[in-house]
Amino acid sequence: MTASTAAVGIHGVTKRFGEDVVAVDDIDLEIQDGEFFSLLGPSGCGKTTTLRMIAGLEYPTAGSIRIFGEEMGLRPPNKRPINTVFQSYALFPHMNVEDNIGFGLRMQKVEKAEVSSRVGEAIDLVRLTGLNSRRPGELSGGQQQRVALARALVNRPKVLLLDEPLGALDLKLRQTMQLELKDIQSNVGITFVYVTHDQEEALTMSDRIGVMNHGQLVQVGRSEDIYEFPSNMFVAGFVGEMSFLPGEVVETGSVRLAGGEVVRARTDSSPGTSITLILRPEKLHLYGEVSEVPPGRNVLNGSVSRRTFYGNSLSYEVELGASGSFDVQVENVPSQTRWDVGDKVVIDFHHEAASALAE
Amino acid sequence: MTLTDERKPSEEEAANPELERGAERREAWRGFLHAVPAYAYLIVFFVLPLVIVFVFSFASRGRTGRPLLEDWNVDGWARLTDPLVRTIVGRSLLVAVMNTVFCLVIGYAFAYWIATRRKQSTRTLLLILVLIPFWSNFLVRTYAWRMLLDSDGYITQLGEFTGLWGRTLFTLPAVFLGLLYGYLPFMVLPLYAAIERIDWSLVEAGRDLYASGVKAFLRITLPLSRPGIIAGSILVFVPSLGAYVTPDILGGAKTTLLGNFIVTQFGAARNWPFGSALSGAILIVMLLATILYFRTGGRTV
Repeated sequence: MTASTAAVGIHGVTKRFGEDVVAVDDIDLEIQDGEFFSLLGPSGCGKTTTLRMIAGLEYPTAGSIRIFGEEMGLRPPNKRPINTVFQSYALFPHMNVEDNIGFGLRMQKVEKAEVSSRVGEAIDLVRLTGLNSRRPGELSGGQQQRVALARALVNRPKVLLLDEPLGALDLKLRQTMQLELKDIQSNVGITFVYVTHDQEEALTMSDRIGVMNHGQLVQVGRSEDIYEFPSNMFVAGFVGEMSFLPGEVVETGSVRLAGGEVVRARTDSSPGTSITLILRPEKLHLYGEVSEVPPGRNVLNGSVSRRTFYGNSLSYEVELGASGSFDVQVENVPSQTRWDVGDKVVIDFHHEAASALAE
Repeated sequence: MTLTDERKPSEEEAANPELERGAERREAWRGFLHAVPAYAYLIVFFVLPLVIVFVFSFASRGRTGRPLLEDWNVDGWARLTDPLVRTIVGRSLLVAVMNTVFCLVIGYAFAYWIATRRKQSTRTLLLILVLIPFWSNFLVRTYAWRMLLDSDGYITQLGEFTGLWGRTLFTLPAVFLGLLYGYLPFMVLPLYAAIERIDWSLVEAGRDLYASGVKAFLRITLPLSRPGIIAGSILVFVPSLGAYVTPDILGGAKTTLLGNFIVTQFGAARNWPFGSALSGAILIVMLLATILYFRTGGRTV
């Protein structure tokens, strides 16, 4: 796929509100046709503003936004081949389900017969059959969410924007809807741009993720790459659980921790550089004796300072003395030893599981 | 009934429903006590006078026009079919409807403008400006209009200077100007309350779904402001229909409206039964119209 056919092309886009608020700071991004792309970041990071600029609900202060190569400029939202699923759903309270879903088609002056057949299809697609004449106020949160989705999809937009659409739902329903959304996306084949602050949601659903912080796009990549190889401290801390140990690079592939221990890790900085070693809690293992550790692994000695029970897993906080402390997550299975606070333990990890990030 | 006999309810269980009913009764009684002053006032100074008016509408007139509570008749009510009454009712309806429409159009634009100001402090300031006229007496303000509209008034001078109009005092346009001025705030306030409550993401959703700005307004903003439109229209229409001060001061003899006509019956014409019948008729018609309005359009979202 060449750059000119990107579904959404964002080039040098900046959005200022007033004099000194920079909501979006010079971002470049290309989202490919048929992709499920998530913009992930904490609240206030500029992800919603970016989405609103694609929709035409805000105009960029600088830069260009293209949809399939076509410059959007100051084109109003009603003239863009894009639809949005709003965070609060924004269903029209004075219209029933059918009229809500058919609104976009009626505004485009689509023939009546076609409107009703397409609305019918959309209602079936989101499994709301039989609720045609209900008002939004008479629907549950999950049903309202489906109406919002159908109302956008029925227009067959080239790009569908979703602004934290599952934020108002409870956990179980949210998980069901995540899978359902992903299914719908692969069925209709429309490019989805999904805004969320929930890293798990982004990882579950997206083909690619763009992580944003303070108005900047700090990393873009496939979900797995974002998780496995965060390119900076912010992404490392924001996506998933992570432990941080300060240290410095000894030589390529070797790092000295603050307490003097030398371990092997992934590095790309030159020797002598101050780095932070990042470790995922689930990639560490605990043993009672050094002799139990498989050969060729990194080994550190520490003691358990806290134990937290999560049901399907347990988390131990392990003190390393001068080098700091980190978390180890252990599956709750019978073969695993349970450690208590104060136990001396040996931590083992593969050198691929640890990365050294420059400050 | 052995079953119930066997299982004796414990003391607490038995006592509970009784306690609950007692609490509810006390609650209701307390609620009623809160309302007593208002009820008493309304009954003595509103319901009772209305009953008196109703009674007088069936009274007869003495030789000097004095109302006599004897020889009961329906002459007062029969006169309601008089062509003169029909003319005045027609004119009053026209004035009230037109005034409501003027207030609605101008008031909506203004209320919308206030409601869409970003800063809360700006909105509050603008609302206070709407209310400031109420700080001075309505009669005084109406006399001020009289000066503006009279031969040497500024508005008349402006009209003569531009050659567009002359002296408007004592004409129907003067009455319209006065009524619009007097009742505009009653339209603006409920409209503002309704428009301010609208969730703007709905309008954005409309724009996102291919509605132009105008379409989004007509299909989303306007229907969602309906509660304000209804409340404002009632607040303006009802008093406009019975307006007295404004047409009396700014209108001439040719622009007699219902309010002035009724006053004449109790004053110069000395025909209390007819005046009472007129008052009663308006009241009944207004009541029915309001009920109908709420029934058909009062259902809010």
